[in-house]
Amino acid sequence: MATIQIFDPALCCSTGVCGVEVDQALVSFAADVDWAKQNGAQLERFNLAGQPLAFAENATVKAFLERSGQEALPLILVDGEVALAGRYPNRTELARWAGIATANATQPQGGCCSGSRCC
Amino acid sequence: MQFLNQPPRYLFFTGKGGVGKTSIACATAVQLASEGKRVLLVSTDPASNVGQVFGESIGNHITAIPAVPKLWALEIDPQAAAQAYRDRIVGPVRGVLPESVVKGIEEQLSGACTTEIAAFDEFTALLIDSTLTADFEHIIFDTAPTGHTIRLLQLPGAWSGFLEEGKGDASCLGPLAGLEKQRTQYKSAVDALADPQRTRLILVARAQRTTLREVARTHEELAAIGLSQQYLVVNGVLPASEAAHDELAAAIHQREQGALMAMPDVLQALPRDQIDLKPFNLVGLDALRHLLVATTSGSAASSIELPAELDAPSLSSLVDDIAVDGHGLVMLMGKGGVGKTTLAAAVAVELAQRGLPVHLTTSDPAAHLSETLEGSLPNLTVSRIDPHTETERYRQHVLDTKGAQLDAEGRALLEEDLRSPCTEEIAVFQAFSRIIREAGKKFVIMDTAPTGHTLLLLDATGAYHREVTRQMGNTGLHYTTPMMQLQDPKQTKVLIATLAETTPVLEAANLQSDLRRAGIEPWAWIVNNSVTAARPDSLLLRQRAFNELKEIDSVATHHAKRFAVVPLLKNEPVGVDRLRHLAHHLTEEA
Repeated sequence: MATIQIFDPALCCSTGVCGVEVDQALVSFAADVDWAKQNGAQLERFNLAGQPLAFAENATVKAFLERSGQEALPLILVDGEVALAGRYPNRTELARWAGIATANATQPQGGCCSGSRCC
Repeated sequence: MQFLNQPPRYLFFTGKGGVGKTSIACATAVQLASEGKRVLLVSTDPASNVGQVFGESIGNHITAIPAVPKLWALEIDPQAAAQAYRDRIVGPVRGVLPESVVKGIEEQLSGACTTEIAAFDEFTALLIDSTLTADFEHIIFDTAPTGHTIRLLQLPGAWSGFLEEGKGDASCLGPLAGLEKQRTQYKSAVDALADPQRTRLILVARAQRTTLREVARTHEELAAIGLSQQYLVVNGVLPASEAAHDELAAAIHQREQGALMAMPDVLQALPRDQIDLKPFNLVGLDALRHLLVATTSGSAASSIELPAELDAPSLSSLVDDIAVDGHGLVMLMGKGGVGKTTLAAAVAVELAQRGLPVHLTTSDPAAHLSETLEGSLPNLTVSRIDPHTETERYRQHVLDTKGAQLDAEGRALLEEDLRSPCTEEIAVFQAFSRIIREAGKKFVIMDTAPTGHTLLLLDATGAYHREVTRQMGNTGLHYTTPMMQLQDPKQTKVLIATLAETTPVLEAANLQSDLRRAGIEPWAWIVNNSVTAARPDSLLLRQRAFNELKEIDSVATHHAKRFAVVPLLKNEPVGVDRLRHLAHHLTEEA
């Protein structure tokens, strides 16, 4: 099964808990991640503020940061190759990468606060 | 002293900066050591004078104090702990990732939460049974963790998959990601705190209404999470005998007694000790030995020489310079209790009396100040931002939208995140940005402002830019970005408010460096409630005035580009006339 890696930006306060507005994209994505994991997807998230080393040690991510800057995050790699950048994937995209039959796509649930960012 | 009766192993002193926690903690340590107990004193005071007091350089390791048998001390510098933590995370990628990215991460880890959690991490080792502390019968801390930190550590949701897997998604616990200890260690530390057999919390306050209200909130918050054994110490109370000596002393005495009478019920119920204002400076072992003893010892000097006239600018002379531009934003910043609201009102009244259009916005919880000023001067308008209302509205909004689909654990975590100090700042910031657009045409005076850290984070996300652009609309202000408006002293003047005491001055200096990080240079400092400027006769007050001189000098020579000193008044500065007294160094008529 494909491995999906999500490299999140470091900006905690845009999650909405601390931010000026609640970022619905992050809320939905957190729920989608939860769903994908429950359906067996191999998925990892890295927070720039907490795990910068993960960014530095991956040549693709490091080059991306140098070229486009942290504003261009998030970056999503599937099996080490760039699959998406600048926005979070939707449930259909996650399902395609992970090989989950989309008929299973049920209501989102769980872990909203998982913006993987700090406060 | 009741709080010294059969003390448990851990004693925590808590209260806002400048109330005398460290002095009382030192005196307690000396007292217990003199009873033959083996005592460890832990200071986290950034202005730590513990080393000075004992004539010993201490630092971040347990050090014996030769002058006091059976006493050891340890200094934890929370800023250094936070810095060490940042270095651990950022160090390996410095020079590897682009410079802007590294700076972004560092800012992320520069908030109050990081400092607090890093300091708590240092505590943990002392609160769990270990060989390190096994020999000590008492461990005394001159600070206590906040309710927010403790509650976060108690929430199971905060831990799931975070510390254990080293990755994941807790929010306010983000700063804990790089900490080394395990959940079980944090848990036993929190358990020790919540165990009345082992831990006693001593709330330290001054006899002031606002301070006591704040202490009541701390009491309830910490009691709710199990720190049920609490004592109250009211420090620095002016003795009745002084009231006979001069009118200012009499007025202060009356005000303090009034505050004690009106103390919130939850505090009335606690065992309480009172420590009189001492005629001596709390430096040296001898002074500490006398602090906790009710004494009328005549160790005070018989007279204290004070300069006949305080050589410091008045608030009114600062306002002259502010008035020149005819409009602009003036923000009073400083820790709670230094009198930001009063000073903002005094600046507003001064400007309005010069015939300039002024909008004063306060977060004054009692609202009496805004009420007395509204309508008192033709070109002065007054409005109010209630931080609690704003925060509540914001919390509810986030819970309704973001929290709608959460399970119980996720919701508990989100609710705790929404109790973080950042939340109130952000909520108030929203209200704030609604008002600053007026600053292009008139003066806008505010007694509240976001910190440099908040501004940087919001600026980095672009959220701040979007928010303010939306709020400002097409007002014809000449600015490139809103952040630049705040950075331009022509458009925005930041006044830092402080008191002429060691810890408040240090806290103000920290605030200043936080603002400088955001490229905002404070325009002036205001030293409020100065006894020196009030020219007292009472010997006790003259001693206090004498101690102030050193602090005023350090503000004038080290910290501030410009400054002003505002006297302590006999009566609460409410209404136009009394506010004018503040600005002009006037002594009041009876």
